[in-house]
Amino acid sequence: MTTVLAVCVAVIVTVSIYLMLSRELKSIAMGVFLLGHGANLAIIAMSGSPVLPGGDLRQPPILGDGHLVDALPQALILTAIVINFAVMGFFLTLLVLTARRTGTLNVDELALEDPPADGPVLENGGIGGMGR
Amino acid sequence: MVGGAQATDHNGAVVPVAPTFVLAALGAPVVAGLATLLLPRGRTSLRVLLATCGPLASLLFLGTHLRRYGVASNEEGTTAVEWVPSLHLDLGFLVDGLATFFALLVAGVGVLIILYSRAYFGDDGPSLARFFPALGFFTSSMLGVVLADHLLLTVLFWEATSISSFFLIGWDREDETAVKQAMQAFVTTGLGGLSLLGGVLLLGDATGTWRWSELVAGAADIGSGGTVVAAFIMIFIGAASKSAQWPFHYWLPGAMLAPTPVSAFLHSATMVKAGVFLLGRLLPVFGLLSIWLPVVVAFGAVTMLLGAVLALRQHDLKLIFAYTTVSQLGLFTCMYGLGGAANGHGGAAIDWDLSQIASHALYKAPLFLVAGALAHRVGARRLPELFGLWRRRVPGARLLVVVLLAAGYALAGGPGTVNFVAKELFFGAVHHAAGSHPLLVVVSAMAVLTAMCNVAIAVRLTATVFGWRTGVEDEGIEPVIASHAHDRWGSLLWLPAAGLVALQYVGGLVPPLWNSAFRRIEVNANDVAFADGLPWLWEPFLHPGVPLAMSVAAIVFGVALGCSSRWRGEVADLHDRIYPASYRLVLGRGHRAFHTFQTGRLRNYLVLMFSMLLLSISWAAWIDPSMLRLPDGVAPFESLTGLLLGAVVCAAAIALPLVTERVVRVMVLGASGFAVVGLYLVYQAPDLALTQLMFEIISVILFLLVLRLLPRLDRRPRISPAPRLVFAALIGITIGWMTLLAGHAAEQRNGDAASLGAFFEEHSLEGSELTNGRGGEGRNIVNVILVDFRGFDTLGEITVLATAALGVWSMLPGRRRHEDDQGDASGQATPVVEVGS
Repeated sequence: MTTVLAVCVAVIVTVSIYLMLSRELKSIAMGVFLLGHGANLAIIAMSGSPVLPGGDLRQPPILGDGHLVDALPQALILTAIVINFAVMGFFLTLLVLTARRTGTLNVDELALEDPPADGPVLENGGIGGMGR
Repeated sequence: MVGGAQATDHNGAVVPVAPTFVLAALGAPVVAGLATLLLPRGRTSLRVLLATCGPLASLLFLGTHLRRYGVASNEEGTTAVEWVPSLHLDLGFLVDGLATFFALLVAGVGVLIILYSRAYFGDDGPSLARFFPALGFFTSSMLGVVLADHLLLTVLFWEATSISSFFLIGWDREDETAVKQAMQAFVTTGLGGLSLLGGVLLLGDATGTWRWSELVAGAADIGSGGTVVAAFIMIFIGAASKSAQWPFHYWLPGAMLAPTPVSAFLHSATMVKAGVFLLGRLLPVFGLLSIWLPVVVAFGAVTMLLGAVLALRQHDLKLIFAYTTVSQLGLFTCMYGLGGAANGHGGAAIDWDLSQIASHALYKAPLFLVAGALAHRVGARRLPELFGLWRRRVPGARLLVVVLLAAGYALAGGPGTVNFVAKELFFGAVHHAAGSHPLLVVVSAMAVLTAMCNVAIAVRLTATVFGWRTGVEDEGIEPVIASHAHDRWGSLLWLPAAGLVALQYVGGLVPPLWNSAFRRIEVNANDVAFADGLPWLWEPFLHPGVPLAMSVAAIVFGVALGCSSRWRGEVADLHDRIYPASYRLVLGRGHRAFHTFQTGRLRNYLVLMFSMLLLSISWAAWIDPSMLRLPDGVAPFESLTGLLLGAVVCAAAIALPLVTERVVRVMVLGASGFAVVGLYLVYQAPDLALTQLMFEIISVILFLLVLRLLPRLDRRPRISPAPRLVFAALIGITIGWMTLLAGHAAEQRNGDAASLGAFFEEHSLEGSELTNGRGGEGRNIVNVILVDFRGFDTLGEITVLATAALGVWSMLPGRRRHEDDQGDASGQATPVVEVGS
């Protein structure tokens, strides 16, 4: 099973980075969410294969009889899922707001965009503004 | 030696006492300074009186302390208040001879400076309001530096002097140059302070001792390991930057833009002496290091000569005195450096060091005060403008000239002043040390040259004010006579200076008076020749030796140099360029680095970050090539279900960038998520599967809702996909490979009792000795981990969730509709849907 997971992680990471390097904020958002799955799968791979060498399955991490799987990666991933969701909600809101404000989701155009007049504007155009 | 000074009460019980007085002395100036803020505006005289009370009270408290407990040895620290016991940090003080002397000097000169500032600033009410709190802050910090016993306490007060001196140097906020120079002084001494902090941490770590008193007591065991030497060098850099040693001396003449009372206080008597004081503290601790003598003497001697030569080539009185101060600080450094030789070679080279320092304060502060007073009365501070001042009928100027020349005579080290004997002592020390190492003969020569320059400066001052042709001549400038010179406080312009300089002559002519005052605090005295104190004026002449010959040579050649017409023009110090150049360098490089890395484009950041990840993993593989081999016994797949689900995950992921219809894309994204849920089930993780399933459903719905609000994908040509794909695949394969290695390693280790997973399994229900008998009381291990073992993690997770929810709520379109209607340039008329609510 570790092999299968490794292949899945490789594919997911490749696709998500490919998406994140694109120019469209929507694709970037999808890449970010996909990367979360990849990371979670990589973590669960650390609990080792659920199939014992004899072919029997390990048991879920609930005290009882038999070999249990490692519970720690699961606890970590449970936290990660919730945080992924929080990030996603925040990201989507940002997307909507950006689109409404600027009319574009193209990061190259956004980089050229002037900050909105009523938004937070850093003095001198930020830390490195002294040379401009 | 905590609580070294203790007294017994009537019942014979030991009660801790003394430090309260020290603490009161320390706080008095800043309290008095801040109290002046409460006075109504315009009451300048009252303000001055109140501010004077601060250092006066310090003197009083210190005096009481001394009367009761005497001067401690430098191995007896006391503790006033325990502050941070876990860091062994408490308000501990060390009131030995060195500290007593400096504390009295700071407080005593502080009183005179405040009185002088009354006359100097006149009735300049609003700006004076800021002056006294800053001065009080400075006085207290300086007292803290000299009285602190704890190493970190010293650093703390040290930085406080840097900060307060920044306020005082840049006191004229309108003057851009003054503010710049204040920055220069602050950055230079502040960086030195950081070096001091580093050195102190190293020292404390190496010795396990955080008190100067204990360090002195255990100095013999300190050894000469690499850490100790590094600590010494870093502390020395701190001291050198504060005491304006070459190559850091540039900040001191720059700081002359401060008001004259500040220059007289900070740059003659107190702050610049903090470094010298620190060297005095360090001498018993580091004096045995073989590196002490060469390092300290070399920097001191270079500074001494450089300062003297530069002082000769200045025309501004304040600059002249600033450079002679640099020179004199070099001399003190040199003096303490030679003290190391005394310890190391069993000889004696340092005696009456505090008299040297006192002597300097007693003529340098008057020189500054008179320079300021002249600028005030005559409107001139430059030598050519002062040409023939004695014969001009400027009211009150003659008195100032008399004080100036009296102090100038002491600067030159003329017989009859304390400084003459002090110079003799220093020459004696150098001569004595030169016997132990031939290179020190060079230092002797440098000392004579320095003394010569000082004599020449005094001669030139005299010639100029009397209008002799040997002085620096009139450039035809008619000085403006300052108008606001006369009020009833006018005498304070010269009285403090006259009082200080009078002590020079009293001590020089009647040494027993001086000796009786100084004998108790001269802790480092160990030279046989002068162990009884300063000699009578005639004694050097009765027993002539090499030191006297050096003095005579300095005076004769100095007078000749002062009278000659050479070396009179003004020169600028090349070192003045160090700070602006480094400032520009740092800013320029920083600017370029900023624009290289902060491009504002997400792609560049991502590529940079993932490249670093790739690099670090490659580096690990370079160190351990076995990472690149396929581990033994990797089973391709054991579960058909798992294989199929994996295939779905991969297929959905690959399909994602290929599909263009956005609703379908969201569906594909959801498909991969649901396949991951299946994989969790295969991995026997029901909790994960459940949670992921719920969130996946919400996510897909949310995404679909949001899509309605977003503009359509634009159809412009894409970024060429090939390099992107190669880069992404490189990272993906690397991470996948790492997953394979890690998962396989975990499998090899499975069932290992020492693993973390096994710990949680054992303690999920019942505790053991390891957990003080407390268990999680639950059968579902994942739940127990989340709410019990890693409860704080879960708290953090909830916080993230709440923060995100708050963020979403604050950005909700409905809340900002009103602003957007006005400011939205794109004019989109999309209906507003409440996202996430």
